[in-house]
Amino acid sequence: MTALGKLDRANLNGGQKLAVKYFTVAIALFGAQILFGLLAGLQYLYPDFLFGILDFSVNRMVHINAMVVWLLFGFLGSVYWLLEDESGVPVVGLGLGNLAFWIFTLAVVVVVLVYLLVQTGVGEQSSIWLINEGREYIEAPRWADIGIVVCVLVFFYNAAATFAKGRYTGIGGVLVLDLIALAGIYLAGMYYTPNISMDQHWWWWVIHLWVEATWEVLVGCLMAYGLIKTLGVRRKIVETWLYIEVALMFGSGILGLGHHYFWIGTPEYWFTIGGFFSALEPIPLVAMVVHAVFDAGHHKLKSTNNPALAWIIAQAFGNFFGAGVWGFMHTLPQINLYTHGTQWTASHGHFAFFGAYVTMVIAYFYLAIQKWRGGVYMSGNLIGAWKWKWALALLHIGMLMMTMAMLISGYEQSQIERAIEGSSWVGYFTAQAHPWFVQGMQWRQIGGWIFAAGFVLLAWDLMTIGRKETRPVRSLTE
Amino acid sequence: MIEPVALKDFFLTFFSAAMVIMTGGLYALLFAYARLKHRPGFMLLAYTAYLGLFISVLALAFAANLFNNNFWTVIVLLMLIGYLLAPHAIWHLCVGTHRDEETDEAEPIKVFSTVVKSKGV
Repeated sequence: MTALGKLDRANLNGGQKLAVKYFTVAIALFGAQILFGLLAGLQYLYPDFLFGILDFSVNRMVHINAMVVWLLFGFLGSVYWLLEDESGVPVVGLGLGNLAFWIFTLAVVVVVLVYLLVQTGVGEQSSIWLINEGREYIEAPRWADIGIVVCVLVFFYNAAATFAKGRYTGIGGVLVLDLIALAGIYLAGMYYTPNISMDQHWWWWVIHLWVEATWEVLVGCLMAYGLIKTLGVRRKIVETWLYIEVALMFGSGILGLGHHYFWIGTPEYWFTIGGFFSALEPIPLVAMVVHAVFDAGHHKLKSTNNPALAWIIAQAFGNFFGAGVWGFMHTLPQINLYTHGTQWTASHGHFAFFGAYVTMVIAYFYLAIQKWRGGVYMSGNLIGAWKWKWALALLHIGMLMMTMAMLISGYEQSQIERAIEGSSWVGYFTAQAHPWFVQGMQWRQIGGWIFAAGFVLLAWDLMTIGRKETRPVRSLTE
Repeated sequence: MIEPVALKDFFLTFFSAAMVIMTGGLYALLFAYARLKHRPGFMLLAYTAYLGLFISVLALAFAANLFNNNFWTVIVLLMLIGYLLAPHAIWHLCVGTHRDEETDEAEPIKVFSTVVKSKGV
């Protein structure tokens, strides 16, 4: 380790050097996601804003795709971060992993430039391959899709071969199995068929099983490692709970996919399957609450890295409310009939993605910066601690404001547009003009600005935290 | 198979569904705290929270017309039993997984492992 507080790559192992590259791109894409979200939000309020220059469809597409990609970069970086530490050996095929990083980053830049420069045009085979595949949330053209799969396969090779060569751990075992699904399920989103019902059937495999199942398990692994590092929780306990959580999550989550199949033309039995397993999905959250109380009582929350621990705790709450409460409110088909695809869904999506995933990746940013600065002190009475605290507060206030505003707008939409007007064009426009909807969009925009301010503070904090510290990382045996 | 929610029951449906998860979480929280601190008073509060959950599930079931169909009635019963027993089961797992924590030979806690020599990137 070099001088405390100084950013030095010599403090990092090979996998961690690659991880900080992924983290750097992830933060840049996080900023892009917020920027394009703000533009799209403004276009709800001023429909003529940037019309013909940067259309709403493009802003929304970049906003959502940037989120998927920056979180993926964050997860890849987080796994590279823990890989050598967990396995006890250098990353196998690190050069290949490094090459994949540059290809992946270049591909993302090219895809975004194409989105921005080619905003309209015909829809044909060439546009599917070169411009836009047309599937909501995963619009990347076919060439980029193939590139993503290749990069994830290289990532899988790095992780699997490293654990195969080094020490086997429960975290490593679960992680490697999960990465098979991470690479495999994405393929379902590349299957093209002109039948919209069949197309949606496979598309949901990517959106639900890839994002909600494989990412959830990945986050479980990251949480396990994070708890060992920040709180010194015993590996045996963390890994046992990782197995339990994964079993509960897969037990309820895989067929919970059914709640997306309610209205796309699939057979009626999906109502029963989706309804039943969606009702089970909050069970892992109840388990999480019980175990969190148990652990807090035993470990007194003495931590080596307060910002990282705060974001890990935020993950537990965010996951419970965003995914659990906001999801179950409208998951049964009897009510989902009216809410599906309204701002209600957007409210759930924002809160759940932020609560379950963004929080964990930010926790890893803080773990990384601590070691990058030579294992600097980041516990209580940290110099400049107001920045990370205010960043956490502003990001949460902004997100909660956006979530509540969209909830109100979505409630109004599901009543007026769906239930009263029967999803007609008249209903659509009546709902869009209603004061509840309009005011909801205005408050959503204010929430967006607050969230953006939180992001700026977060970025500033990540660049400066620990710089003036001279104390070494706190020992948990003190 | 499903009978959509009536317009007048929209708010009740959303609210009761949210309360199912909130009271479920509160029940689990109070239950675990009561067991951890050996405070029977909190256990009483935990079961009061479960009563809230019970009422929320019934309100949801009526608002969403779940009792009009045998399958959905079974789901309601499973939810009531599942939420009641889940914290008990999870508590037993907690105790079991932590049982030998005190007796295990203490592992030295390493915040960061030594930098592993690897190919430069």
